Amino acid sequence: MRLFQAPTLLILLGASLLSHAAPTSWQGNLQPISKSEWNRERAAHLLERAGFGATPEEITRFAAMSPTQAVKTLVRYKSTPNPLPAFEHSGVHDAGLEPFATSRPAATDLARDTGESLGVKVKPEGNRRMQQVADRFLYWLRASRLESNRVGYWWANRMLTTRRPLEEKMTLFWHGHFATSEEKVRDYRKMLLQNELFRKHATGNFRTLMIAVAQDPAMLAYLDAAVNVKGAPNENFAREIMELFTMGVGNYSEQDIREAARAFTGWNYQGLKFVVNPDKHDNANKTLLGHTGNYDGVQVIDILLAQPVTAEFIAAKLYRYFVREELSPELQKELGDVLRKSNYEIAPFLEAVFTSRDFYSDASVATRIKPPVELVVATYRKLGLKTVPGIPDFNDLTESLGQKLLYPPNVAGWAHGKSWITPGLLLARGNFVYDTVFPPIAFVPTDRVPNQFYQIVPVAEKLAMGIDVTTATKPEGKEMSSMSMQGDRDEDFNTRLASYHAWRKAIEKVKPIPRAYAHLNLTGMVQQAGCKTTQQAVDYLLLRFLSVPIDSESRKKIAAMLQAELGTDDLSRAETYMEEALRTTLHVILSLPAYQLG
Amino acid sequence: MKQDTQSHHQHHTDLTRRTLLQSLAGAGLVAGLPLVSPLSAQAANNKDKRILVVLELSGANDGFNTLVPYADDAYYRLRPNIGIRPNKVRKIDDQFGFSPGMAGFERLFKEGKMAVVHGCGYAQPSYSHFTSAAYWHTGAPNTGEPYGWLGRVADAIDPALTPNFLVNIDERQSLAVRAAKHVPVVFDDPERFTRKGLLQSRPLLDSVPKSVAASATQNYLDGVANSAREASQLVRAAWANYKTPVDYGIISVDLPKVAAMIAADLPTRLYYTSYRHNAFDTHVQQSEVHQRMLTYVSDAVSGFMQDMERLGRADDVTVLVFSEFGRRAAENTSLGTDHGTANHMYVIGKPVKGGHYGKPPSLTALDIGGNVTYTTDFRRVYASLIDGWLGADSKTLLSGEFESFPLFG
Repeated sequence: MRLFQAPTLLILLGASLLSHAAPTSWQGNLQPISKSEWNRERAAHLLERAGFGATPEEITRFAAMSPTQAVKTLVRYKSTPNPLPAFEHSGVHDAGLEPFATSRPAATDLARDTGESLGVKVKPEGNRRMQQVADRFLYWLRASRLESNRVGYWWANRMLTTRRPLEEKMTLFWHGHFATSEEKVRDYRKMLLQNELFRKHATGNFRTLMIAVAQDPAMLAYLDAAVNVKGAPNENFAREIMELFTMGVGNYSEQDIREAARAFTGWNYQGLKFVVNPDKHDNANKTLLGHTGNYDGVQVIDILLAQPVTAEFIAAKLYRYFVREELSPELQKELGDVLRKSNYEIAPFLEAVFTSRDFYSDASVATRIKPPVELVVATYRKLGLKTVPGIPDFNDLTESLGQKLLYPPNVAGWAHGKSWITPGLLLARGNFVYDTVFPPIAFVPTDRVPNQFYQIVPVAEKLAMGIDVTTATKPEGKEMSSMSMQGDRDEDFNTRLASYHAWRKAIEKVKPIPRAYAHLNLTGMVQQAGCKTTQQAVDYLLLRFLSVPIDSESRKKIAAMLQAELGTDDLSRAETYMEEALRTTLHVILSLPAYQLG
Repeated sequence: MKQDTQSHHQHHTDLTRRTLLQSLAGAGLVAGLPLVSPLSAQAANNKDKRILVVLELSGANDGFNTLVPYADDAYYRLRPNIGIRPNKVRKIDDQFGFSPGMAGFERLFKEGKMAVVHGCGYAQPSYSHFTSAAYWHTGAPNTGEPYGWLGRVADAIDPALTPNFLVNIDERQSLAVRAAKHVPVVFDDPERFTRKGLLQSRPLLDSVPKSVAASATQNYLDGVANSAREASQLVRAAWANYKTPVDYGIISVDLPKVAAMIAADLPTRLYYTSYRHNAFDTHVQQSEVHQRMLTYVSDAVSGFMQDMERLGRADDVTVLVFSEFGRRAAENTSLGTDHGTANHMYVIGKPVKGGHYGKPPSLTALDIGGNVTYTTDFRRVYASLIDGWLGADSKTLLSGEFESFPLFG
């Protein structure tokens, strides 16, 4: 079999040495590239951007198509069968938790006033009569957070294994555009529904999506819809829909925001359903952006979408995400026209972008800094993994790199571009590779063992030794500052005890994330590619993982290290023991600043 | 929120920069690092030791419920439910009092170590967090200024581009430290600010290869890679060697990390940190959570000041606290507050001449949006720090003349 593989390597390496620089006139040119201009390198670029990177086999498949076919295969993905498992709920929710209290004091105050809260009755007498209410409040917070992490892990596995990479990539794009965080929503079920909504409309119509998002329980919770009522409008959603979702800052007035807020009054959710409360809806006329009428939210959305700046704003945001950060005002206008002419249909817009000469110009190719989630997924994809490793933990890992799924930092979503790279984050990106090739052996699963932040373990240990609750829950260490004793002041319950109970109950229910190491086989990878020498192995790995060529001196130095480790430059001689050295080599290669580019 | 509550192990240390570097060199950790930067070697000039620490309260802190104008009836009319009653505030004079948990701020003000600058804002204010924050970060509202005001200060006062001169502790770099020439050191957790790698791969991991056809992004990455290599070992060692008996409270807003770097005598003169994730964006039921966050800020800043005394650096360090805007004068119907305009700025430290500066904005002459009108251009405070503390020329750095307040002796 290897006899047939060797020529593949030569073709690949040969291609890498050729320079496929595009004519400078391609930059800003939306004309489609021709079939004769299509090649392996450009197919790789397309798969990098429209997906999460690809293996050489996938690149070969797309390079064999015409550019139009290749783009169509990725964008019109509905015809591609993609059997992936639905999210498997642990079953942490029950009806008694609805409606969930806005805060712990709200939960216990309700219990004090009515004798019951969150489906739990207050004890008729005795000490800490409301302990179970406090336990239950914190139980849901912990359970929802842990379950959200499972949703993140499930989604990451979709990104890794999907046969429709653009579907997941657009879902991720909308998650950043319509940023909503579990931090505030505190209900993984709403977050999951929103995720499914983004996937359903991923490349569909923007108007349809915008309306669905405005009526989405997670979004309604995140931007305070419940308190946006007639006579007392809350401007939070109205401001963000104009500033972040449609028009962009500077294209509307404060008065427009106030009027729009009135149109959305009465929009709310009950459980997981969107509801309109007619009594809370303001039925008087609203005047915004030169229009006057008794508008509701949908009509306001239509007014916003009719603004020329909106099509340009959305088009430019998509372009910056998929192509490059800088675009001229002329190109932005042209892209806005494309989106407007497609009547806000996303798929034809993406087809136009992905087939354009501009997309394959030197200004675009390999100039994008991969966002953390994409970096991690693309690395796993290019390694040929079939499942996201449980060690290191995907959520903790991507969070430490600056992007945690379901937890965008604020209403504006992730900033992208250079903001992904700081000295600290660049080192962390290299360390991710180290932890992938040499996984930590002292790994602690944070979905079982509570983070030190919660200070739960010391409480549990003291209670087990028969120590009374007050002593067991006294904060350890130095004298604490002003507010920290708050929890112990209330005699009706103890919040630190509740924290311990809540964690235990949560992990009893929440299914564990499988904690398997990555199954790497770099030996097989370079052998299959037909590599005979250490230099060939290094060049192959560079080509397989990097979008940017590096200088020949560095290539030689890396090969020299591999040779020194193996004691030979002949891979067949080192066949039985070369895995460890290949992993060290891959760590070096994927730690190159250039690996951040895609 | 991930912001940590660092507690520090208690073993004693009194490492100077020199012994720190010696111990690093002994461990073979600083190969290729200049052991003493040219500037810190000749730090005879006192101005070269002066440090500015900027703390951003992201999300727009409600200034009216931070330093409460408790003698003003208009305040209670505007805030019948969330207004803090006179018997609850920590009075600092017959007009103003701090939020109940802010014992540290009260003490700093009464000791004359805190300047409160009233009514800070700018003309044609933006109510967008992101736009207004960008205006404050650049010190250039309604312009396309690409660099941060601290980045420009660094380029001006340190043309030698001393490594580790400008430090930003956060998950991502703030626009405030973006510079034309300096590459800011940005990290979050010092313990993770290190590169893993086997011994045999170290030389390769530590060198930044030339790219064949370098794009602007590639050049940026290479610059950051160099900065990371130079800073990480020093920062990590500084943190590992830092022990303090001082309590910074529950959320220390990264000030112990700043103290660790000052204790290690790094050449850093500009530090930037923030209370992150738009935490102060209190639209709904704000009272409890807002008071709690202010307590954290107050505990952390006063702890930091105590730590500077302990380290003998109190005369060299000034802290600036600000938000991207204030909040509306009146409470909203959700027991919270919406986006507003003018706010206080706090300049804190032993070298600061404490007291009130600027004119408190009127609560009875609100604009059509229910906002107070700013009385102090916030760049006057930047100018006061640039001219009076850091020894640079604010007129050039802020592209205009902004009258300094006499905040320093």
